[in-house]
This record gives sequence, structure tokens and C-alpha cells, in this order.
Amino acid sequence: MLDPQDRIRFEQLVLPHLNSAANLARWMLRNRDDSDDVVQEATLRAYRFFGQFHGGDARAWLLQIVRNTCYTWLGKNRPSELMTEFDEEVHQRPAANPEILATQSDERQQLMRALESLSPRFREVLVLRELEGCSYKEIGEITGIPIGTVMSTLSRARERLRQVLIGANGAAAKGVS
Amino acid sequence: MNCEEAIKLMNGYLDGELDPITNQAIEKHLCECHNCDQAYKTQRSLISAIGNAAPYYKVPAGLRERIRSSLREETEGEPMRNGVPGAQVMFHKRDPETRSMLSEIPWNWLGLAAAIILAAIIAFNVLPRAQRGGPDQFLATQLIASHVRSLMANHLTDVASSDQHTVKPWLDAKLDFAPAVVDLSEKGFPLIGGRLDYLDNRPVAALIYQRRKHFINLFVWPAGSDAAEATKAMTRQGYQLFHWIDSDFNYWAVSDINEKELQEFKQLFEEQIPRH
Ligand SMILES: [Zn+2]
Repeated sequence: MLDPQDRIRFEQLVLPHLNSAANLARWMLRNRDDSDDVVQEATLRAYRFFGQFHGGDARAWLLQIVRNTCYTWLGKNRPSELMTEFDEEVHQRPAANPEILATQSDERQQLMRALESLSPRFREVLVLRELEGCSYKEIGEITGIPIGTVMSTLSRARERLRQVLIGANGAAAKGVS
Repeated sequence: MNCEEAIKLMNGYLDGELDPITNQAIEKHLCECHNCDQAYKTQRSLISAIGNAAPYYKVPAGLRERIRSSLREETEGEPMRNGVPGAQVMFHKRDPETRSMLSEIPWNWLGLAAAIILAAIIAFNVLPRAQRGGPDQFLATQLIASHVRSLMANHLTDVASSDQHTVKPWLDAKLDFAPAVVDLSEKGFPLIGGRLDYLDNRPVAALIYQRRKHFINLFVWPAGSDAAEATKAMTRQGYQLFHWIDSDFNYWAVSDINEKELQEFKQLFEEQIPRH
């Protein structure tokens, strides 16, 4: 059991990274309610394991726990999403709120959809690199991908994203008529 | 370093993850190789577009509070709630009042410009295919990118007018050449306007025509000394391209109308051009 000193240290070292945790979980689960639950569970779990954190990169440490909690949650609640191969797209979920989506520009919406349609393993590396600015070393730590293959995973993910965007836009540009 | 190696290491280079020596080798290759340099720039735009235009989801204030209080409940010697430490807070009641979707999606509006670049990228097939295809293939992808971008970004025209006497002076003032502008309304291809565009780092004129609900971008720039090429039609990525040259200019028409119609458009355009 941790004491109040530990809690203060945890609040100082780990809680500053809650936004990163929320962002990763939200992209992985693509739904706010589920990601709120998972972020809370993961943070609590991190707290219980805080004794095993011996300094270093607190954000990577927290994100690793968040990421694993996301996979556990997906395995339990949406196992089909984990079955997707790297190069497949996960099944599109209906847009959360049509009114809001209508207010967003097409390009942004397309980008968001395209990212959401990637397999979880592609999505996580893109979110970590492009939105969190993680180094390859951190991405390796968080995802368990060997450091030597982070670059090739990222380039495949980016290429896949581009393909999805090309597909979406080929259709959109023709939809003028 | 050859192209294959450069492409393979491109992502590491963009992410600043290569050792200094490899870094230098790539930089040298990019200076010398136009195709790889284009691939590099396109990939860089894609990366910055993701970073700038994708939403970043911050932790909601209510959740932060719930987490803090659940930590206190987990902690020895601190007051518990309901006499039970920790776990049951997982099943919190969700607070509907904080569910405002608008405030939840923190679009970075400065990223809009980056998002628009996406439109150019999508049509541009970066990797080795572009290198094998030769200069035409490379130009074709750029032309399609410009065409798609003009449609996607709602930036079809800089000067919107069906009057050739408005469009032409506008373009003449912006360019160091004076493209012919003709209206083909009566032939079923009304002029919509003109736009300044860039291809291969040079300003070019884009004339926009409409065919029913479809648009044609006609790109025009001065013909070079090597202007001996014949007319050609090609289909790329679902778009139709039609290329011809007259004594003064290079023309590239890009659209999603079919080849026959685009050819008809070319004929009508040539017939209407004032001879000198
Ligand atoms: Zn090269």
C-alpha cells in the first residue's frame, strides 16, 4: 500500500501526463466514455505499480500502462478490432455526432476518419509519433515494438494512411457530379 | 546512397532518428535527386498535416478530478469513501453536463493550412513508382494534385468570372506570360474563372471550365524550346489528363470527365483561340 508521500510524488511525476494518456486512449478506443474508463483504470493501475517505477521517462511508463489497458479492454469488449491485420482497416464506426461533424472542415474530418480506420497497431504508432512527439525509443518502450522496427512500422503506417486518404479523396473528388 | 536506400531511410530522416553520417548521406542524395526530394517534401507535408490537423484529446476536467479522488482513496492513511478503498470508483456515474462535444474536439485552426496540403498529397503517389514512370508520370501526379486541391480546398478560382475579358487581364497581370482565355459556354464548357497555380516551382495559369457538374482545370504555361511532343491522353488515379502544345504554350487539361469529352474540349478550345 502506498502512503501519502508516494501519492504526492505520483501526482508530481505522473499526473502531468494525463493528457497524453487521454489522447492515446481516445484514439485507441475511438469513443470518449470508454476511454475515460480506461484512463481511470490505467492511472489507478499505474499508481498501484508505482513502487516499480524507478525514475526515468514517466510519460512513456504511464503510456505503456495505458496502451496495455486499452488492448486488454479491446480484447474483452471488441475482440474483432484486434483481429485486423496490419494492412486491413478496422470497421468504420458511425460518426459520433452528425451536427458536430458537419461543422468541421472536410479535410480534418477525412484525416480523423482515416486515422480511426487504421488497425490499432498502426494507429498507436502514428498517435505516439505525430501527436505526442515520442522518440523511436519511447515508441518501442510503450508499444513493445523492437526499436529496430519502429521506423519501418511507422513508414508502413504513414503509407497506409496515405492510401486511405487517396481512396477517400478519389471518391470525394468524383462525387462532384 | 541510391534511391532505394534513401526511400527506405526517409522516415527515419524526417523523424530525426538517423545517425549524423546517414543523415548527411541522405541530405546529399536529396540535393542531387529531384524525385527523392519530391518524395521527401510530400512525406513531410503528410506528417505535419497529421500533427496539425488531427484532434488532440485532452483529459476532461471531471475525469482528472475523479482520478485524483480515487488516488486518495487508494492511499493508506487517507480518508476513504463509503469505507471501501479505490475500486468502486471505476463505476462512476457519467456526468452528462460535461458532455459538450464542441469543447471536446480541440481543433487547431492554424492547422487548416496543413490540412489543405493533404489534398495535394492524396493524389500524389510518392514512392518508387513515380521514379519509374519518368517525367510525364511525375508531372501528371502534380497536375492531379493541383486539380484535386483546387476542388477540395474550395479554392477553384482566384478570379471567378465567366467573362474572358475579366479573367485574362487578371492572369496577365500576375504572370510573365499572357495565356489565351476563351469562353466556351455556348459549346457546353462554360468558363468559371482563373487561378494562379504552381507546378514544378513555376507559376502557371489555371483556367477552370465546367462540364455539367464536373470541372476541368486547364493548366497553361509557355512551351519550352523542346516543345516537340505530340498530343497525348492518359488516365491516372481515376483522372483524365489531356496534353497538347501549340506554338506558344503547353496545355494540360485535368478532369474526371471522360477522354472523349476532354478531347472535344481541347478541339473547341483550339478553334476559339485567336490566331496571330
Ligand atoms: Zn533518389
